Amino acid sequence: MFLLQVVARHAARPWTRAFASESSSSFPPATGVYQVFDRAAKRKQRDRAVSRDAGVGSRTVDYVRDEVADRMMERLLDIRRKFDTIVDLGSGPGHFSKLLEPEKTRKILMIDSSETTLNRDQDEEFEVEVERVHADEENLLDVLPRNSQEAIVSCLSLHWVNDLPGVLVQIKEALKPDGLFLGAMFGGDTLFELRTALQLAEVDREGGISPHISPMTDTKDISNLLSRAGFTLLTVDIDEVRVGYPSMWELLEDLRDMGESNAVVGRRHFLHRDTLAAASAIYKELHGNEDGSIPATFQIIYMIGWKPEPNQPKPLERGSAQTNLKDVL
Amino acid sequence: MQTAKTSTTVTPLRQLALHSTTTCSSHATAYGKCILAVYADVRKDSCKQEFEKFGQCLREAMKRKW
Repeated sequence: MFLLQVVARHAARPWTRAFASESSSSFPPATGVYQVFDRAAKRKQRDRAVSRDAGVGSRTVDYVRDEVADRMMERLLDIRRKFDTIVDLGSGPGHFSKLLEPEKTRKILMIDSSETTLNRDQDEEFEVEVERVHADEENLLDVLPRNSQEAIVSCLSLHWVNDLPGVLVQIKEALKPDGLFLGAMFGGDTLFELRTALQLAEVDREGGISPHISPMTDTKDISNLLSRAGFTLLTVDIDEVRVGYPSMWELLEDLRDMGESNAVVGRRHFLHRDTLAAASAIYKELHGNEDGSIPATFQIIYMIGWKPEPNQPKPLERGSAQTNLKDVL
Repeated sequence: MQTAKTSTTVTPLRQLALHSTTTCSSHATAYGKCILAVYADVRKDSCKQEFEKFGQCLREAMKRKW
């Protein structure tokens, strides 16, 4: 009887190929990949953020993404190659794509899961030809054929992806041999001030904590993930963007307008006003600047990886060096 | 301008934001300093007295109870 039930349960679940294999230590979840983020809620939050006040609020809070897009562009300009098409995965309204010039690419293909965010800005703001595709970043291979792209970039969207190893594998699969992947994502210490202030406030006022800030990828895991996905010639570096706010309230409002509200599965949908007021007081005392404002840290992980190709430059054979390092250093 | 219009809309949350940072800022500071002193070992109601004053001030400023 028990066996029959088990068989029936397995038959009821359609067999799907998961791009990431599960590690043996975790209990295999029923959905294939462990779900941390509520992607449907995230899409709604981002849609609403752009619709609110006819996009005024959304444009006001472009500062973090524009800054990071600018820094990411420096990294792209270091690569001496002209592309025909660059895919911007999780493009938003095109913070990165708007900076692209005709000398670098002929066309940009923007993919985003939030349709209103994707269509927020007019084509005239771009210097190259634009094509927009409304699709889920987690199912990239549904919209891009394998071995079809020269370059895929992603600027600050991968932190809402449940299956990060799987998406990286899909990016590699969608690239042609010797194709480029350039990405920027929020890393581990992002918003640590807000995280700690809310935790302390919740413990003191309510006697427990709940998730308000997403778990984020650690810097040191990224190179492992990239090489596991099959990229070579990796470059990973980190950077910080620190922004000052008058108080925690402005930070919360701006995060909402960025579409970056909490979307962790199982989050509390309610925060008591006592807890909020307490968090605001703690934030200021614990992290505040001398002038009374408060800082918020956004940690950015930049990553570059290439799809392998036989003619790519490779490290030389061990022991083949002609110069002694001792003489150089 | 549109921004001016949206930023002056007074929602209860905006009021709470205003009062917690201006009207009741001295109580907020006292509470924050109390948490700062014990932050390595905070438990429920570690700073109950300080928060009661802060909360009382907020309730008076907001003219409502919760």
